[in-house]
Amino acid sequence: FPIGAQIAVASAFRHAELPFPGAAPRRFSDRQKDQEQPKAFDPALLEFLVCPLSKKPLRYEASTNELINKELGIAYPIIDGIPNMIPQAARMIDRKAQDEEPKQT
Amino acid sequence: MAASIGAVVYRALHSRRHRKLLSVGRGLFSGARCLVAEGETHFGFQKVSETEKGEKVYHVFESVAKKYDIMNDSMTLGIHRLWKDILLHQMNPYPGTQLLDVAGGTGDIAFRFINYVRSQWEHQIKQKLKSHQNLSWEEISKSYQEEELKLPGGSQVVVCDINKEMLKVGKQKAQHLGYSEGLSWVVGNAEELPFNDNKFDVYTIAFGIRNVTHIDQALQEAYRVLKPGGRFLCLEFSQVNNPLISRLYDLYSFQVIPVLGEIIAGDWKSYQYLVESIRCFPAQDEFKGMVEDAGFLKVEYRNLSSGIVAIHSGFKL
Repeated sequence: FPIGAQIAVASAFRHAELPFPGAAPRRFSDRQKDQEQPKAFDPALLEFLVCPLSKKPLRYEASTNELINKELGIAYPIIDGIPNMIPQAARMIDRKAQDEEPKQT
Repeated sequence: MAASIGAVVYRALHSRRHRKLLSVGRGLFSGARCLVAEGETHFGFQKVSETEKGEKVYHVFESVAKKYDIMNDSMTLGIHRLWKDILLHQMNPYPGTQLLDVAGGTGDIAFRFINYVRSQWEHQIKQKLKSHQNLSWEEISKSYQEEELKLPGGSQVVVCDINKEMLKVGKQKAQHLGYSEGLSWVVGNAEELPFNDNKFDVYTIAFGIRNVTHIDQALQEAYRVLKPGGRFLCLEFSQVNNPLISRLYDLYSFQVIPVLGEIIAGDWKSYQYLVESIRCFPAQDEFKGMVEDAGFLKVEYRNLSSGIVAIHSGFKL
């Protein structure tokens, strides 16, 4: 019976084989997810990302959609789900004042 | 100035090592056009300050981003796909590899990596079946599941580029082609990578390093973010060794490519820059030296298409 099971699995592979490796069959629920995806930021990236200047880890701030380096007081923006880690794109977090005006060089 | 004479001699010496005598004259000529003073660098054949180069390069890629892929196919007659496939074959990633693709803009290398790792996984499963090894229930259930879940073995690729327009194009492509898991996009500078030390198994930079203002800094960053045992791979235009092909290549580059750029992308200047930047990029051996200077060991290069393109590889050991 192990041979029978293997034949069953092998035929399952043939059915599961997609037009080209890497393609995912598109389901209706996927389409909805894709429409949301452009805005969302994948928190798994935080495992890799650090501040390019100080190489210290960052905190994801969901409300402003930014990555904050508290030590240096700077925030990196996330646009369309892509974090922008260029130092010139970061804005200074003004701790005293409440205004959120970005100071970009 | 003594500095520029010394540089000409240096270039001549390097030229003689791997070029036949016939093309030394041409080598010296284009080498002379690429000489710069301290604090300056080259933007194609133009001399610019180092700060300017970054901005100019940014504008070039911002302008060509949407037509980048079409232009690549037209300029290289589709051969760039083969070059990138060869790069992946040389990389030979196994499932579980963490890849950082720098200057990866429109995602060509990243998508190939995902395909490769997936087919490796399928191959492994089939091998196990053939040799009558029993598959674990986890493996059987994974084979039924949709490809949307994690990449096999936890493989991951991070695409980093300084230009967000290029990344936008890449991300849209990924959505069209159905790549989502294990793939991340980050805007970052190759000279100042926003990643921690010892994070990646492989670092690739395909057709990007000649656009970096401080190549040595980019190489040092590459060394930093790689894990010990990690591999550096660079696919870049290089110097042609055959004088006949070199002449045809020059003709094609300077006469045809900018025209194609104007017709297809509406941008002559960007493609003029492209062609000039290729001439000013160090030759195979010189670049090999630079990679070694950054600390990489067992540095080798492999010419493709008679040296039009070269793959440099090094290890962090």
